[in-house]
Amino acid sequence: MPDFRPFLVLGLALGGVFALSGVGIVVLYRATGVLNLAYGAVGALGALISWSLINVVLLPDWEAYLVAVAFGGVVTLLYGTLFGPPLAQRDPLVKAVGTLGFTLILLGIMSWAWSYQAHSLILPTTQLGFEVGEVRVNGTQILGLGLGLVVTGVAAAFLRFTKLGVAMRSLANHREITATLGVPVRRVEAAAWLGAGLLAGATGLLLSTLVGLDIVGLTFLVIASLSAALIGRLESLVVTMIAGLAIGVVQACLTAFDSVGPYRTMTPFVFAIVALLWFGFAQGRLSRT
Amino acid sequence: MIEVSALTVRFGGVTPLDSMSVTFPAGTCGLIGPNGAGKTTFFNVLSGFVTPAAGAVRAFGEDLLAMAGYRRARWGLRRTFQTEQAIEALSVFDNVGLVHEHSAGGHRATRRQDVLTALEFVGLAGSPKESVATLGVRERRLVEVARAVVGSPRVVLLDEPAAGLPDEETQHLARVIRRIPEQLGALVVLVDHDMSLVSACCDVTAVLDFGKLIASGPTAEVLRDERVIKAYLGTEDKV
Amino acid sequence: MSVAEEPEVSAADRPRAAAVGTWLRATASEIERPTAIRAAVVAALFLFVLLALPGLVSTFWLQIGTTVAIYSIVTLSLALLVGRVGLVSLGQISLLAVGGWVAVRLGFAAPGLPFPLLLVATGVITGAVGTLIGLPALRLSGLYLALITLMAAAAISVALQVTNFPNGGPGFLGYSGALAGSVSAKLHRPDWLASSASFYRWVVVVAAVMFALGVLHVRSRAGRSWAAIRQSEPSAIAAGVNVTLYKLWAFALASFMTGIAGGLLAASAGGLTTYGFPAQDSITLLAVVLMGGVFSFWGPVVAALLLKLLPELLKNWGLPPDLLTILFGLGVLQVMLTAPAGLVVQVPRDLAGLVAMVRGRLAGTGPAEPAE
Repeated sequence: MPDFRPFLVLGLALGGVFALSGVGIVVLYRATGVLNLAYGAVGALGALISWSLINVVLLPDWEAYLVAVAFGGVVTLLYGTLFGPPLAQRDPLVKAVGTLGFTLILLGIMSWAWSYQAHSLILPTTQLGFEVGEVRVNGTQILGLGLGLVVTGVAAAFLRFTKLGVAMRSLANHREITATLGVPVRRVEAAAWLGAGLLAGATGLLLSTLVGLDIVGLTFLVIASLSAALIGRLESLVVTMIAGLAIGVVQACLTAFDSVGPYRTMTPFVFAIVALLWFGFAQGRLSRT
Repeated sequence: MIEVSALTVRFGGVTPLDSMSVTFPAGTCGLIGPNGAGKTTFFNVLSGFVTPAAGAVRAFGEDLLAMAGYRRARWGLRRTFQTEQAIEALSVFDNVGLVHEHSAGGHRATRRQDVLTALEFVGLAGSPKESVATLGVRERRLVEVARAVVGSPRVVLLDEPAAGLPDEETQHLARVIRRIPEQLGALVVLVDHDMSLVSACCDVTAVLDFGKLIASGPTAEVLRDERVIKAYLGTEDKV
Repeated sequence: MSVAEEPEVSAADRPRAAAVGTWLRATASEIERPTAIRAAVVAALFLFVLLALPGLVSTFWLQIGTTVAIYSIVTLSLALLVGRVGLVSLGQISLLAVGGWVAVRLGFAAPGLPFPLLLVATGVITGAVGTLIGLPALRLSGLYLALITLMAAAAISVALQVTNFPNGGPGFLGYSGALAGSVSAKLHRPDWLASSASFYRWVVVVAAVMFALGVLHVRSRAGRSWAAIRQSEPSAIAAGVNVTLYKLWAFALASFMTGIAGGLLAASAGGLTTYGFPAQDSITLLAVVLMGGVFSFWGPVVAALLLKLLPELLKNWGLPPDLLTILFGLGVLQVMLTAPAGLVVQVPRDLAGLVAMVRGRLAGTGPAEPAE
């Protein structure tokens, strides 16, 4: 029986980050109806900017990280402000394809300015080492898991108890009525875009450290977060978090098995496909008009 | 004849249809009720888009709910929608022809004849070759009605066919609707808010309110029925 | 569509028949000239591309041309799915990889199989795979269907990295690490297709056949049913259309075409590499197909040129091809913003929207592009 503990640690850390971005995806979707597929690309670009700031401009690390997070928020907010309102009445598919366009723009910028060579961005928290039980854990892994749990809790509380959060939930459930109730729809949506963007920036930094700063890899890791969000049926934050953790853990633990090990990166997709089918069949029983 | 027994639809904590039982005998039958009464839900059950929680529907002796959605159309159940859905990408001919080619008894040999007959029946002039996208509201609605009557329909469900049309178009529509049972032998169920249209076309009418059937019978009587008037206007006791 | 046929009429219908006859003659003369001109232009262009082009350009550009022709089949398949049926698939590139894999595997498994038959077999098998992927997804609405195809595509990409393309090794996968020779897997071309020019011509012909297949479908009952489904599924069901069947058929056709393209790609100069089918390409494919236009048959040709010719031209002029990625992203957004009916025709949900849409049309935006 292989020792799963190191894999468990890796998996929980990664899963925590999946949960973190999954929450961002869900909150944004519920507030605006946009499934932001550019999430990963935003994080990747933020991480690359950080890298340049640290290695080329020689900015202090923590300043560069702050810029990455802020950048994520700003660029996502920019997209939401420019392309949110004109597409607001359209089908969710159209809105999601719009974010695919956004993804391409970001990918183009990244490959142009930084090319596809490997870069390295390691958060300093990685140097902090702990012994949990008999397993070595580093600070970044704790940060990943911790942030995932904390942000889910904070977001859930935010949605339930703050005025802005309640407004977002109202938008999610009763879009047409909310506007007539005097809720400043555009401002609430902007807040959602900004928040999601900040999370995307943070996710990019964490994933760069845990998985590597690779443009394509980071951009498409959004699929893992998306899977978590889909399992949460794009509404439950808690289920999204649990799903994210599960995906991370399963994927990491599969490394221990030689036969299926090489296929382990399929884990998020398999989870997502199952979730989508379940989701789809459940919905299909309701009225189609 | 359509027999509806104890039809109930529930979802999301709402009961759009609550044990609805009614018989639509023959000819043109009206189905009215305030907004949200369940009329479109009823049509959606008949079309197969909504699965009822309970109840049964028998049309001309056949169990309608046992058939798959698209098979009902082939059997002869036709329908128009509240927001007209004539296919923009196709010509008028193809729009009507599509229904014909998917219906039981829709043979290639008779297609052109049947389509042109249907177009004439609704009074749609102009070249059938024209793309529907170029037509105005009135023509598109007529195309939709033509789709509903082409070939040999058995039941024709009309969901607010006069919505948004000016009076004289509504009158033309009334004439067309009256002819459906007369010339095609189909049973028509008409849902509309225009009471003059309903009076002009329908011999009998049923009334829904909050998913429940509150009246049914000869149209003139039903429209005078106190319960029906209350349903539309609300009771005087409400403050 | 049988508008041009002469009807059979009984004696009782004669007056109506006369009216119909007059109408038919009038419309026949109407449609003849523009359609005839269009057909002539297409034929001339096709002959030029087929016969004259190989003599005019270098081998390098001819191979680019071959790639463009191969990818035009893929863009055609996606345009049919998106434009005619309203289904967005983000997995065509991985199906292309599957097609390539099947072709190479068949090449090793049945070396005596004539090349055209091998292509057809590849198409059929890939069609089956695509249909299997589509099967459970069909009950889902547009967004979830797109997501499932994305997930399936990503899963296939991962699987491909592990299984590699067959290289003559044993077993179902046909791969053996020990045999790893060249970087790319290739399908052996028969002698009569050995030269670049002859292979190019073959590919153009196959592409033309695929386009003809597409046109045939659009003009048939399937095409009309797809138009109904794209407009509104409930309305299509109410018209008697078996929506599930026709959607599956669209998937099968698109996958069949893409499979054949995969086979052609395997036989082309570049061959197949496991890193040649990145997930990003599926998005880029959708982008160029949208930009080229999903409602016409020229659109896929334009899309293929954008996808495979333009990057080479840019490289030739010393410009970074990454600019194109940005351009395509902007293109997608532009199409989303301005397409009158968008990807999927959205029937306005309320009367106000309906009236606005009609007013917009009467105000002179003109009729929508006619179906071919």
